[in-house]
Amino acid sequence: MKQVQIEKNALPELIQRWAQSAQVVAPVKKESYTAFEVITSPEEIELERAHNTRYPLKALFLPQSEVLFRYHNGEYLPAEAQDSTRVIFGARPCDARALTLLDTVFEEEGSHDPYWKTRRAAASVVGIGCDQPCESCFCTTVGSGPFDRSGLDVLVTPVDGKYALEAVTEKGQTLLANLPELSASEQKQVEEIQQRAASQMKAAFDPAGVRDKLYAIFESEYWKQVQQSCLGCGVCTFLCPTCFCFDIVDETQRGERVRNWDTCMFSVYSLEASGHNPRPSRLERTRQRLMHKYAYWLDHIDQIGCTGCGRCVRYCPVGLDIREMIRRAQAWEEA
Amino acid sequence: MSDLQSDIRKEAARLLSENSVDVVIGFENASVPLRPQPAFIKRAEDAEKLVFNGFCQNNLATFLNRYPKTTRIGLVARGCESRAAYALMVEHQHPRENLVLIGVSCAGILDWRKVEARAGENVLSAEEVNGEVKVRSRLGEFTFDRAELLHDSCARCVHPNPVNADIQLGETLPEGDKALARQPIAEFEVLSSTERYAFFTHEAERCIRCYACREACPMCYCAECFVDHTTPRWAESTVGSSGTHAWHLVRAFHQAGRCVSCGACERACPMDIKMTYLTDKLNDDMQSLYGFEVGLDDTSQPPFAAFSLDDKDRFVS
Repeated sequence: MKQVQIEKNALPELIQRWAQSAQVVAPVKKESYTAFEVITSPEEIELERAHNTRYPLKALFLPQSEVLFRYHNGEYLPAEAQDSTRVIFGARPCDARALTLLDTVFEEEGSHDPYWKTRRAAASVVGIGCDQPCESCFCTTVGSGPFDRSGLDVLVTPVDGKYALEAVTEKGQTLLANLPELSASEQKQVEEIQQRAASQMKAAFDPAGVRDKLYAIFESEYWKQVQQSCLGCGVCTFLCPTCFCFDIVDETQRGERVRNWDTCMFSVYSLEASGHNPRPSRLERTRQRLMHKYAYWLDHIDQIGCTGCGRCVRYCPVGLDIREMIRRAQAWEEA
Repeated sequence: MSDLQSDIRKEAARLLSENSVDVVIGFENASVPLRPQPAFIKRAEDAEKLVFNGFCQNNLATFLNRYPKTTRIGLVARGCESRAAYALMVEHQHPRENLVLIGVSCAGILDWRKVEARAGENVLSAEEVNGEVKVRSRLGEFTFDRAELLHDSCARCVHPNPVNADIQLGETLPEGDKALARQPIAEFEVLSSTERYAFFTHEAERCIRCYACREACPMCYCAECFVDHTTPRWAESTVGSSGTHAWHLVRAFHQAGRCVSCGACERACPMDIKMTYLTDKLNDDMQSLYGFEVGLDDTSQPPFAAFSLDDKDRFVS
């Protein structure tokens, strides 16, 4: 689609333009990291970080806690519709791609989730490609790339003192109306930057055959070894852009039915009312996490349920690295 | 390779080959730089995998509860790990006779976040040489003084030496400065209650309830944590002030006189939440009110866990 450009110092002006008709959400500095927040001024935006926001983009569409409805003295009170028009600026392609995977869950034919769908329909996602992918990144290994357009309405490529902006969807075209087009030579330069970034990334593993291998070693000793140091916390899954499991609770004191993120890494997640737990130890829970991403997603939609953002790799308190777990699975041979 | 590391390997291999222990818990290198991983060595020939350096950030005593009480465990134990091990013995979590403490005096854990803040987001490797840390990142090569990279809890560590270890490796280090350790507590105490609450709220509000702090903590071993209890629910699981405040406050109170001030909770937190200002204050209260400090032997019970018929304060009658 058509590519346009702006000078880097003209970005605030463009953001202001979007802000006239939408909330603009962008990465801002928070403690030692960045987080997506509604901005009141373009100056708040932090784009210098190579690392992604700490908290994943999914939280803007599937908040960690979402009030589904309220009740008071037996009366049903619907939750406020989350339909504000939003432009999300500065998303990374891995996070945006994750939205397309989650669409298959929350917008599946016949079971649309209205909360997800309303937010998705009201948002445009402007992504910035990664000209410097990080050490923990492995998007190219899992079928994506540092300039993947999936889930984006606009893809931004930083070029010298400029930004090249490519409209990926009609929503994106609207956002880029009346901006000067990129020349053919500049377009070539953009393509080179995009290709160079992708080629800089080493393959973390060969994704072919991962699913079959995981099924083949389902009952093996591999899991016993690989889960040893796992603490059983929720860091990897809560920071994961594609994990979507939730629990629905009644916060009775406030009269709210709430959908909260949950995680297969918690023992209480699979605990049944009878007291039986089909995933009684960290072994089964670690296996579930890996199997879901690298086998069950493939069974369902033929895509790996991981976009290679590397958050689980970076923030695991015991240095567990999903790339290494897959490599070890692939190399595993029954004794 | 440091002498300390080779000594740890030697001792681990000896214990395993003499069949004195069933497993040695230490650290091994993982695929991510600056992040050695807990290791569970069962064969003498695998002792070569063990590593020991300033980036070994977990408190290994947290893994003691994974094993039946009959398992003979060799634990690579720094000051805080040995104290956690003793605190766990007091609470009957693992018997002294089935625990071999491979004591290592600790110069303090290096905070990978501090390394990244100085050397850039993409660190490729780091090595400790004579009190300095040489770091290679995408931005180039850097040399830092070890002291500036210490994790906050380690910078104010009082007990760097293992308590009553079975094997002592490396030279004994001078004890830390108690006055220095008390500084952050004093700074918090002088705040008004409104300011203290604002500080607490600012920290707690970033919590994503992943419970990495709980899982990383050697003293959090309840079979069912109060936040996981569903009938009745003691705390809201919804992320918001009610449940999150309850989690942070009750967690801290459960640690009163039990926390060994290792800071593993803060190192595990993915959201950079400060937590030790609460537990350190509670430990300080235990010192001043009851003269108690945790983890110095295998018999003294934390005051809030102890019960005595001769208790002079008969508040329960």
